[in-house]
Amino acid sequence: MGVRTYHKPTSLAEAAGLLAADKNAAIIGGGAFLRLGARTFETAIDLFDADLDYIRETDDGLELGAMATYRMLETDPLVRTYADGVIARAVERIVGVQMRNIVTVGGTVFGRYAFSNLTTALLALDADVVLHTAGRLPLSEFLSRKPDRSDVLGAVVLPRNAGRAAWQDLSRTTNDYAVLNVCAAVRDDLRVVVGARPGLARFCPAAASAAAAGGDDAPARAGEAAAAELEFGDDLRASADYRRRLCRVLVERAVKEVLS
Amino acid sequence: MTIHFELNGRKATWEVEPGETLLDALRRHEITSVKNGCDTASCSTCTVLLDGKPVPSCAVPVCRVDGHAVMTVEGVPETARRLGELLAAEGADQCGFCSPGLVMSVVAMTDEMDDPSDAEINAYLSGNMCRCSGYVSQTRAIRKYLEVKS
Repeated sequence: MGVRTYHKPTSLAEAAGLLAADKNAAIIGGGAFLRLGARTFETAIDLFDADLDYIRETDDGLELGAMATYRMLETDPLVRTYADGVIARAVERIVGVQMRNIVTVGGTVFGRYAFSNLTTALLALDADVVLHTAGRLPLSEFLSRKPDRSDVLGAVVLPRNAGRAAWQDLSRTTNDYAVLNVCAAVRDDLRVVVGARPGLARFCPAAASAAAAGGDDAPARAGEAAAAELEFGDDLRASADYRRRLCRVLVERAVKEVLS
Repeated sequence: MTIHFELNGRKATWEVEPGETLLDALRRHEITSVKNGCDTASCSTCTVLLDGKPVPSCAVPVCRVDGHAVMTVEGVPETARRLGELLAAEGADQCGFCSPGLVMSVVAMTDEMDDPSDAEINAYLSGNMCRCSGYVSQTRAIRKYLEVKS
């Protein structure tokens, strides 16, 4: 881990100021992958002391601070009961307790990790991101924009009306990253999101439409639609073909559960 | 840069490199209970407590702990001795390389949970790798440790 200067700002505003003042500065998030990367940070900005490690209920909904850890998500009573507890289910088996004590909400979302379980769940739950400069915008819009490393993510906000949700994933060993992950959520209408394809999580509008048509075989048709509408790829965990078949099954299960 | 923090209950002031990990800095200061098992934040052998929470010290920049508290096996000698004896009695310590990280994880688990079930113990400690045993002997030792403790 190459770092020349290390800053620990005590607020989001101070972090944004440090970032703006130095074009070679970067926010390091939880830092879980720092040792694994060859990247050298001229100036590292660590949000550890910036009071962003919170989970709280606000007028807008459930707010997850950028430095809230996966371990906080899996143990927090508000998160555990939000939308049938899918967020806790999405993160509670990742690597180990030790890693989940340093992996953060902000590091995950801002890093746009395609293998992420959390991003899949947050997309399905209609989360917004709150950036210091760009302000509040839907997570889906944030992920489709070009990455802007001059801004700082302060929080993720989940809507007040949580609705229902179901989680499905499959990994080769219990603590490994998922081969594929699926979150189906219903507030006003059904949303199906599939991630770790291994590309970034995507909405499956055709699957949602197929399920909305109703009938006993709606979950199965949703599974087939998702497998047909998404692109899948090969990596060391699974082939594209395996993922496509898995997608059909996991989407069917998730849709069946969320509509039951 | 200079950092001030609490190490095993005592105030410490260290000169560290801005890119140094907590693991490397601890070992450089002769806190050698903390082992580098995998170098990829996967094995939990390097587990220490940061403000009471178990973390992989290989993935924590040492500058982060400025103003915070770090605890290693050197800070919990009584627990380490008792758990070490139980692990030995069950034949769980073969090379012993993972034991310090396991002890710190058990310390955190007993702080967080009252009377955990075997399933909860296994879930909590599933990140702690051991390449000698099959984990069954560790679970027996930890179960005995928890029984004696309660």
